[in-house]
Amino acid sequence: MKKEVFTTKKAISLATAAVIAAGTLTLTGCGGSTETADGTATTLNIYTWTEYIPDSVIEKFEDETGIKVNHTTFSSNEDMLAKVKSEDDDAFDIIQPSDYMVEQMASQGMLAELDLDKLTNLSNIGEQYLDPSYDPGNTYSIPYLGGVEAIAVNTDMVTGEITSYDDLFDPQYASQIVLLDDFRAVIGMTAKSLGYSMSTSDETELAEIKEKLLSIKPNVKLYDSDSPKSALISGECSIASVWSAEVALAMEEVPSIEVVYPEEGAYLFMDNWAIPAGSKNVDAAMEFINFMLDAENMALILEEFPYMCPNTAAVELMGEEYAANLAKNPPAEAIETGEYIQNLDNDTLAIYDQMWTELKK
Amino acid sequence: MSRRIKSSIKKIAGIVFCTLVYIFLFLPISVIVANSFNATTSKPYLTWKGFTFDWYVKLFDNSSLLASFGATIAIAVISTLLATAIGTIAAVGMYKYKFRGKSVIDGLLYIPVVIPEIVLGISLLTLFSNTHIPRGMISLVLAHTTFSTPYVIFNVRARLSGYDGSIEEASMDLGANRLTTFKNITLPVLAPGIGAGALLAFTLSIDDVIVSYFTNGQVKTFPLKVMESIKSGVAPDVNALSTLILVGTIVLVILTQSNLFKKNK
Amino acid sequence: MAKLSRHTFRSNTLPAITTVGPVTLWLAFFVAVPLIYVLIMSFCSLDEGYNVVFKFTLANYQRLLDPNYIQIYGTSLFVAFITTALCIVVGYPFSFLIARTTSKHKALLYMLVIIPFWTNSLIRIYGWRTLLGTNGWINNLLIMMNLTDTPVEFLFNRGATILGMFYCLFPYMVLPLYTAIEKLDKNLLEASADLGAKSRSTFTRVIIPLTMSGIFSGSIMVFIPSLGYFFVSDILGGGNSDVIGNLIERQFQSGNNWPLGAALSIILILITLLLVKLYQKLGGDMDNLGV
Repeated sequence: MKKEVFTTKKAISLATAAVIAAGTLTLTGCGGSTETADGTATTLNIYTWTEYIPDSVIEKFEDETGIKVNHTTFSSNEDMLAKVKSEDDDAFDIIQPSDYMVEQMASQGMLAELDLDKLTNLSNIGEQYLDPSYDPGNTYSIPYLGGVEAIAVNTDMVTGEITSYDDLFDPQYASQIVLLDDFRAVIGMTAKSLGYSMSTSDETELAEIKEKLLSIKPNVKLYDSDSPKSALISGECSIASVWSAEVALAMEEVPSIEVVYPEEGAYLFMDNWAIPAGSKNVDAAMEFINFMLDAENMALILEEFPYMCPNTAAVELMGEEYAANLAKNPPAEAIETGEYIQNLDNDTLAIYDQMWTELKK
Repeated sequence: MSRRIKSSIKKIAGIVFCTLVYIFLFLPISVIVANSFNATTSKPYLTWKGFTFDWYVKLFDNSSLLASFGATIAIAVISTLLATAIGTIAAVGMYKYKFRGKSVIDGLLYIPVVIPEIVLGISLLTLFSNTHIPRGMISLVLAHTTFSTPYVIFNVRARLSGYDGSIEEASMDLGANRLTTFKNITLPVLAPGIGAGALLAFTLSIDDVIVSYFTNGQVKTFPLKVMESIKSGVAPDVNALSTLILVGTIVLVILTQSNLFKKNK
Repeated sequence: MAKLSRHTFRSNTLPAITTVGPVTLWLAFFVAVPLIYVLIMSFCSLDEGYNVVFKFTLANYQRLLDPNYIQIYGTSLFVAFITTALCIVVGYPFSFLIARTTSKHKALLYMLVIIPFWTNSLIRIYGWRTLLGTNGWINNLLIMMNLTDTPVEFLFNRGATILGMFYCLFPYMVLPLYTAIEKLDKNLLEASADLGAKSRSTFTRVIIPLTMSGIFSGSIMVFIPSLGYFFVSDILGGGNSDVIGNLIERQFQSGNNWPLGAALSIILILITLLLVKLYQKLGGDMDNLGV
C-alpha cells in the first residue's frame, strides 16, 4: 500500500514542482517590468466598469504623470457599491458610478466634493451634459461615457420587424435573444414596453410588469452584461437588448447587424467619474479625471469603446463617420425620449429582486 | 464464445472507455492550447485567423497578467508554509496529548473541508470587513491558510497513525530535549505526510476561485484575472500563459517519470 | 541545564498548548467567529443605504420560503444529485480500471487525471463554451459529418451546468475511489472466485461493499461543492440555471443584501451538516474526506 500511496503523492508533487518552477521563471524573467521607477510613487486605485478604458490609455497616464494606477473592474453599480462598502474607506481613489448611483452614494456621504477649478479640461464637456438631475452642479461627479439600452438585430437571421422593446416579447423569437444580466435593465425594459416608468413602485404596475417579464423567458438564450456582443458575433443569438456600444462593436464584426432604438423610449445611462470620500489621493485622482477629460485621450478611448460621449471636443476629433454612426453616436431623439433609472426603496427593491429571481430560476 | 475472446473484448472495451474519459478530461485543454496560437486580435477571440506565436511574446508585456501570476505563487507559497507549520505541530500535539476540547477542535477542522467554499468566502469577507483587516495579499494569505491547514493536519495524522512513540521516549531518555527529538526523530518520520499535505495546500491555493473572489480586495490572483478575462472572451495571452504552465508541468513530470518507474521496480 | 530541567518539562500542559494552541486560535478566529457572525447577521435588518443594522428580524428567513427560492434549492439539489450520480457511474469503472491495471504505465494513467487540474478551472470551463457553442468545435464537426443541419443548442441550460459540474468535480470522485479500490486485497478477490462466486456476485458482494467508503467520501466531495459552484452555472448555464451559490453570491454582490445572503448561507450550512451526519451514520470516516 505504501508504495502506491507514494506514487500518488509523487504525482502531485511533480506537478507542484513544475508550477513552482514555471512561476519562478516567469517572475524572474519579468520582475523588473512591474516595478515603478521610484518606490515612493503614488498609487491610484481606480475601480471602473469592465471593458470601458483601454489599458493603453491608462499606461499613457502613468507615463505622463509617474503615478501608478491599480485598475480593478466591476460589472454592475450594485457590485461596485457592495465592494466599496465592504472595503476600508481609503481602498479606492476613483470610482465610476452611473447616474442613479451617484445620487445614492452622495446621499450616503460616500463621495468627495470635487474642486471643479482643478479640472481645466472640463470645458470639453458639452453644455447639455453638465449639471445633470442626479448631481446638480456636478458637485460629486463628472460625466465619462453613457449610452442607451438599444436593440441589435441580425437581419440575416431575423425576418420579423423589430422596432420596440415590446417586439422582443414576441414568441416567434424563442431562444434567440441575449439580454443584459442586470435586473434594472431587464425589468426597466419590460416596464417601458408597457409604458411605465423604469423605476415604478406602484404595486398594480409591478404585478403587470412581472407577468410580462416572465413571458420573455422562452426568448432569452443568455444573460450577459460584460460582453453580450460575443453572443451576437458568434451567431449564438440573433437579437440583443444591450448597451449601444456593444451593438456598435458587434456591427463592425458582423455587417448584417443593425441597431434599433426602441420607440417606447430607451433606458438611458451616464457613467461618471467620482472620488470616494475616504480617498487619500484626491490630488492625483483629480489629475486622472482631468487627463480623461482631455479631448485627445478621450478620442483614444472612443476608438475602442464607442459609447455615447459627452466630451463634444473628442467627438469632433473622431470625425464625420463617427458622428454619423447611429450606434456609436445615438440620435438626439433617442436621448430626449430616454429615461434614467432612479433609486428604489428597500421594499420595492425586494419586489424587483423577487421578480428577477423568478425569471432566472 | 470462448473465454479468451470474451476477456479480450472486455479488455478492449475497458481501454476504449478509459480513452474516452481521458479525451473528455483533456478536450477543454486542447481548446486552450489551440487558442493560444490564434492570430485573431478582436474580442471575443472566437474566430480562427491563422497560426501565430505572437501571444507568447506579448504575454511578457502584459504586466498585470504576470503580476497576477506572481501574486498567486506568492500567496500559495506563504499560505502553504504557514499551513504546514501550524498544521504539522497541531497534528503532532493532537496525537500525543489528551486534553479537554479536543473534539471541538476536531469538529472545527472539518468545517473548511466540507463546507461549500462560498460560505467560507462570505464569512471571511464579513470578518475582514468588520475587523478592518486589510483586504489584499494579507487577507488572501489568511483565507488560504484557513482552508489549507486542515488538509495538512489530516495528511500528517494519517502518517502518525502508524507511528511508534517509543522511539521518541528512547531519544529523550538518551538526553535529547523535546525540540531536538522533534527535529531529529519525529520530523523525518512524518516528512512524507507533511510533504503530501503541503502539496495539497499549494494545489488548493493556486486554483482557488471562490474564496479569493470574496476576500481579494484589489489584488488579482491568476484565477481572478481569468475570471475577469472571461467576461470578454478569454484573451489569447491568458491561454498562452496557461499553456506554458501546462507544458512546464508535463515536462517536469516526464523528466522525473523515468526515475519514478525505476524506483518502483 | 537541559538535563536538570528535563523532568519538570515533561508535564504535558505546556507542550499541548504550544502545539495545539496556534491552530485553535486560528480556527477560532477564522472559522468559528466568522460563521457565528454570519449566523447573527442572518437575523439583522438592512437600512435604506443597504447597510447591515443590528435590529432583530426574521424577515430574511421568511424570504427564504419564497417559492422561487425553494424551486432553486430544488434545482440545485437536483443538479448536485445528477452530478454525483454521473461521477459514480463514470468514475467507478474508470477508477477500477486504472487502479487494478497491470500496465506499467499505471502511475502515468493516474497522473493524467491530475494534470488537467493544473490548468485553471475557469479557463477549462470556458473551454467547454468554445467546444459546445453554436459555431463551436462540436457543432462544426456534427454539421461536417452531416449528422445535423442546424447547430445543436448545447449551451446555456441545465444540462450544460451539469456537464460543467461533472467536469470540475470528477477527479474528486476518482481520487477516493482509486485509493479504496487499490486497497482491495487481490487474494480476497481470488478467494471469492475460487469459492465459486461468479464475477458478478464477487463484484456486488465483495468489491462494492469494500469500496463503499470511497463511494461515500467521493459523493460528499462532489455533492456539496456543486451546490456552491456559482461560476459554472454562470459560464455554461448562461444565467438560466442558478444553483444556491448564485443566490448567495448575488446577495453579497449586486443584491447588496448581506443579511439575506447570510440566511441563504445558513441553509447551505444546514444541508452540509445533514449530509455529513448521514455520511457518518453510514459509517464514513471523516478523515477520508481530507486526504
